[in-house]
Amino acid sequence: MSNPDELLRIEGIRKTFPGVIALDGVDFDLRRGEVHVLLGENGAGKSTLIKMLSGAYTPDAGRILVGGEETRIHGAQDSERLGIATIYQEFNLVPDLTVAENIFLGRQPRRFGMIDRKRMEADAEVLLKRVGVNVSPRARVRELGIARLQMVEIAKALSLDARVLIMDEPTAVLTSEEVDKLFAIVRTLREDGVGVVFITHHLEEIAALGDRVTVIRDGRSVGQVPAATPEDELVRLMVGRSIEQQYPRERADQGAALLTVEGLTRDGVFHDVSFQVHAGEVVGIAGLVGAGRTEVVRAVFGADPYDKGAVKVAGAALRRHDVGAAMAAGIGLIPEDRKGQGLVLDQSVEENLGLVTMRAATRAGLVDLRGQREAAARIADRLGVRMAGLGQHVRTLSGGNQQKVVIGKWLLADTKVLILDEPTRGIDVGAKVEIYELINDLTAAGAAVLMISSDLPEVLGMSDRVLVMAQGRIAGELSADEATQDSVMALAVSNPTTDLKTGKEAARGH
Amino acid sequence: MATDTLKSTPGAGGATRGLRRLLLENGALTALIVLVIAMSALSGDFLTTDNLLNVGVQAAVTAVLAFGVTFVIVSAGIDLSVGSVAALSATVLAWSATQHGVPVVIAVLLAVATGIAAGLVNGFLIAYGKLPPFIATLAMLSVARGLSLVISEGSPIPFPDSVSHLGDTLGGWLPVPVLVMIVMGLIAAFVLGRTYIGRSMYAIGGNEEAARLSGLRVKKQKLAIYALSGVFAAVAGIVLASRLSSAQPQAADGYELDAIAAVVIGGASLAGGTGKASGTLIGALILAVLRNGLNLLNVSAFWQQVVIGVVIALAVLFDTLRRKAGATPVAAGTGAGGGRGKQAGTYALAAVVTVAIVGATSFLHNGSSSSADRKMGLSLSTLNNPFFVQIRAGAQAEAKKRGVDLTVTDAQNDASQQANQLQNFTSSGIGAIIVNPVDSDAASNSVKAADKADIPVIAVDRGVNNAKTDALVASDNVAGGELAAKSIAEKLGGKGKIVILQGQAGTSAARERAQGFANGLKAFPGIQVVAQQPADFDRTKGLDVMSNLLQAHPDVQGVIAANDEMALGAIKALGSKAGKSVSVVGFDGTPDGLKAVEGGSLYASVAQQPTQLGRIAVDNALQALDGEKVQQTVKVPVKVVTKENVAGFSG
Repeated sequence: MSNPDELLRIEGIRKTFPGVIALDGVDFDLRRGEVHVLLGENGAGKSTLIKMLSGAYTPDAGRILVGGEETRIHGAQDSERLGIATIYQEFNLVPDLTVAENIFLGRQPRRFGMIDRKRMEADAEVLLKRVGVNVSPRARVRELGIARLQMVEIAKALSLDARVLIMDEPTAVLTSEEVDKLFAIVRTLREDGVGVVFITHHLEEIAALGDRVTVIRDGRSVGQVPAATPEDELVRLMVGRSIEQQYPRERADQGAALLTVEGLTRDGVFHDVSFQVHAGEVVGIAGLVGAGRTEVVRAVFGADPYDKGAVKVAGAALRRHDVGAAMAAGIGLIPEDRKGQGLVLDQSVEENLGLVTMRAATRAGLVDLRGQREAAARIADRLGVRMAGLGQHVRTLSGGNQQKVVIGKWLLADTKVLILDEPTRGIDVGAKVEIYELINDLTAAGAAVLMISSDLPEVLGMSDRVLVMAQGRIAGELSADEATQDSVMALAVSNPTTDLKTGKEAARGH
Repeated sequence: MATDTLKSTPGAGGATRGLRRLLLENGALTALIVLVIAMSALSGDFLTTDNLLNVGVQAAVTAVLAFGVTFVIVSAGIDLSVGSVAALSATVLAWSATQHGVPVVIAVLLAVATGIAAGLVNGFLIAYGKLPPFIATLAMLSVARGLSLVISEGSPIPFPDSVSHLGDTLGGWLPVPVLVMIVMGLIAAFVLGRTYIGRSMYAIGGNEEAARLSGLRVKKQKLAIYALSGVFAAVAGIVLASRLSSAQPQAADGYELDAIAAVVIGGASLAGGTGKASGTLIGALILAVLRNGLNLLNVSAFWQQVVIGVVIALAVLFDTLRRKAGATPVAAGTGAGGGRGKQAGTYALAAVVTVAIVGATSFLHNGSSSSADRKMGLSLSTLNNPFFVQIRAGAQAEAKKRGVDLTVTDAQNDASQQANQLQNFTSSGIGAIIVNPVDSDAASNSVKAADKADIPVIAVDRGVNNAKTDALVASDNVAGGELAAKSIAEKLGGKGKIVILQGQAGTSAARERAQGFANGLKAFPGIQVVAQQPADFDRTKGLDVMSNLLQAHPDVQGVIAANDEMALGAIKALGSKAGKSVSVVGFDGTPDGLKAVEGGSLYASVAQQPTQLGRIAVDNALQALDGEKVQQTVKVPVKVVTKENVAGFSG
């Protein structure tokens, strides 16, 4: 039965957590020199599966075979010994150490008991060259952008002589250029005989990179298909039903301008940003990571200060750097970092949903807990949050359901202008469509939506109008008809600045 | 929240399951129950109504402080200043009411306002000054302690009687501090569970950025949170002072650590976002049960500290392991196979911990008592000083000779801890009590209680004010101080510059000896005192303070230290000058001091005879116990020991 090319085989793996069956009979195998895509909705059990391989969890039942031999993986050391390296969505890097130190963390080459910095940096340089990233081994990790962090992680995995490389949604945070670069690296690794387990929600990436696909649904492996399988078929396997339309945007009647931003400037970050969002309209903001999109919307929301310009809601100007004023005017922000900024992870669904409305629900210092609970139950039901109950901690929800909670707390507050920053990052297809439908409902009810997204098809599919930002400025505006992948990208890489800011900006971008 | 989960398990079968779940969900409660069972098994005196009320009284101050700290810790902060703020508030109350005739009601309001003000300063520094909470409150710890010493000028101030009733009992049995603890606990639970600020604490502690982006006014909330902590500290300070009928500037020293321990034992995380008032109460009770039980069991004072530390670590470890074992309510329903084994593991761990505690305490239990009627308790102010260790040695030797079962406790220079220990002696029906008061005023309430229970009380080394003691066995500190001053003046030929190292501000020994020095020096106008600084009876501080003083006064010729430890520190600072160009006089005649006299670096020490103090105290206590008449005051002579007479001298 043992195939010499087989690196890894998983048979009938089962894992339960209190109250949840995370995995129930998953089969999977990986050969030398292939990219095997793991596909499934959030909460299907992909993360649990790879945590078994990295030693974070041990299975309750089933077998794991590495190189034809049955093994038990009890911790990170075990998996390292077996040549399995994992790159998680959240990177395991120490921000204040250098790139070289991070690559060799815990295994720094030593001379006379001291760290041999010269050799370590030379070795790191070789590895970095191999992954094709132009970064100094002496640079501090804190100074690197997300794409480069990922390259450092890959270099770290290579330094371990990994035969199996597991990548958990590596493309979720990358721009399309960066994705291309990543793919080139993965293909080189494949040629070197490394087996790659690749998790992604972007179906188009499967055909571009993958060899085989294993689909997981509700903790079971429901099929293994070649990567050339049509997307419709993959979606059907993944969600157990077919999704009619990936971007179900329904135009609403456009009303008056709700949000007006005039000449907004923060020196060195964004310059002279002006735009309007009308009632019933979805305006998308496209651009490369680092173009200043997030910084602009945070300033609009009052979370950060700005130097010049004005923000008006329905004609009334808002106080600068005042979240309270923005909220009172009906602005809501769904931040890009869901876990870091959007949720209190160790609190319940109910408490998170009630966060924005808590002040309004307070009489004489007392919170109307019953009212809050009823409201939370209502909105969770409307959004279809899949949970064990309102008391479940949001940490244990899947990404899509977490995002629904973040959106839900603003819906409860009757938000008129909703700003969504990367609303579907790391969310599976099914949940994505549900969020798009929610956007439709909102605009139909007369709200204005401003949406930042690095997922171009999403921007094109959902926006009524697209603003493209480049280097801290609005590089152009495209109507839904004009906006295509090419026209947006052309603006995104354009140089809208006339002054000599270019050098500085280029250093920021990645 | 907790009440909701309980409601959802109706029926008789549900009740036991509910209880089991309650225990599993709350590791601290389990630990408390284990501890109570262990203590009851080991000591017959533990499980009585009186003693349990004692435990409540003894937990009250820590618990009230800890409720305030819970707010701060839930919001991912820390408050190190609560002990000092408690002392400051109580001092403000006593100072305004007793010394300045401010109406008591207004004085109480002033005290609470003091707590709020201290909290607001903390909150302002943290929220607007962006100081780390640890540093801001560490600064307040020092400032508040300093201010209470400034206001009180270092001496305890009697507490107004009307407020002191807070330390009494209601209806003759229910202690008011317990009532205050319960009320403040309910307020804390209400604030945390129902109010806007309480819910904000959890959100801010869980994820401050998410809270801010959801429109919570984080900075204003933080101001309010630290102010609340200040209010609770003020209440704790008032309760503490009313128990002692005296506001002590040094009260509640180090209590912030007890409070933080109580909060963490109660299941809160220092990372913020979790914590409950009920948990904090349990944490405070665990600490109180432990101290009370160890007193009753006559565990050596030194080992007590070790045991308390181990139990704090175990209680939190137990809770962490239990959480890891994943004993969540959902598991019980869906019946995961692996969960049961882990539950068994949790129980096994509980069993191991119980056996360990029982084993350790019975091991440390100082022999069984054969003659129960000849039981005696000795409460020492501290054992951190050789002088008191010698008192203990003398007392223990005498007790052994006379066949008395002597329990020795160490109050660690904390008047309220001493009150607890005396209370424990009284309620366990001991034959006689020997007390070496931390503070003469503060011990009066406890001694009155012992008198009421017809237990003879002998004071040793320091007297007790406003209460009847059968005898005071002491050497005369004022006379000793005069002797010290005289001997240095004569050595210097009646002319020269000297410095005085004072004892710990606020203690009677420091005051009386300073008085003696002053009296003695009056006769020598040629002696110029160039500096007087406190060095807290501590050798290291003596070294530091003397080094500093030498910078300012390099030409000093003499040093008077209020005890030998400080004198020895000063000798270190003086180096080769000691005994040659600078003469040092100490006080107490401890073995180290006498050795230095022999070696010539210490010119003289005013020797008390601590082993004699201990011996005579036990002797007097036995006489009182046997109903014989004892002298009101027994003076143990003090002597100036110099190189000439040191050979024939032993403490």
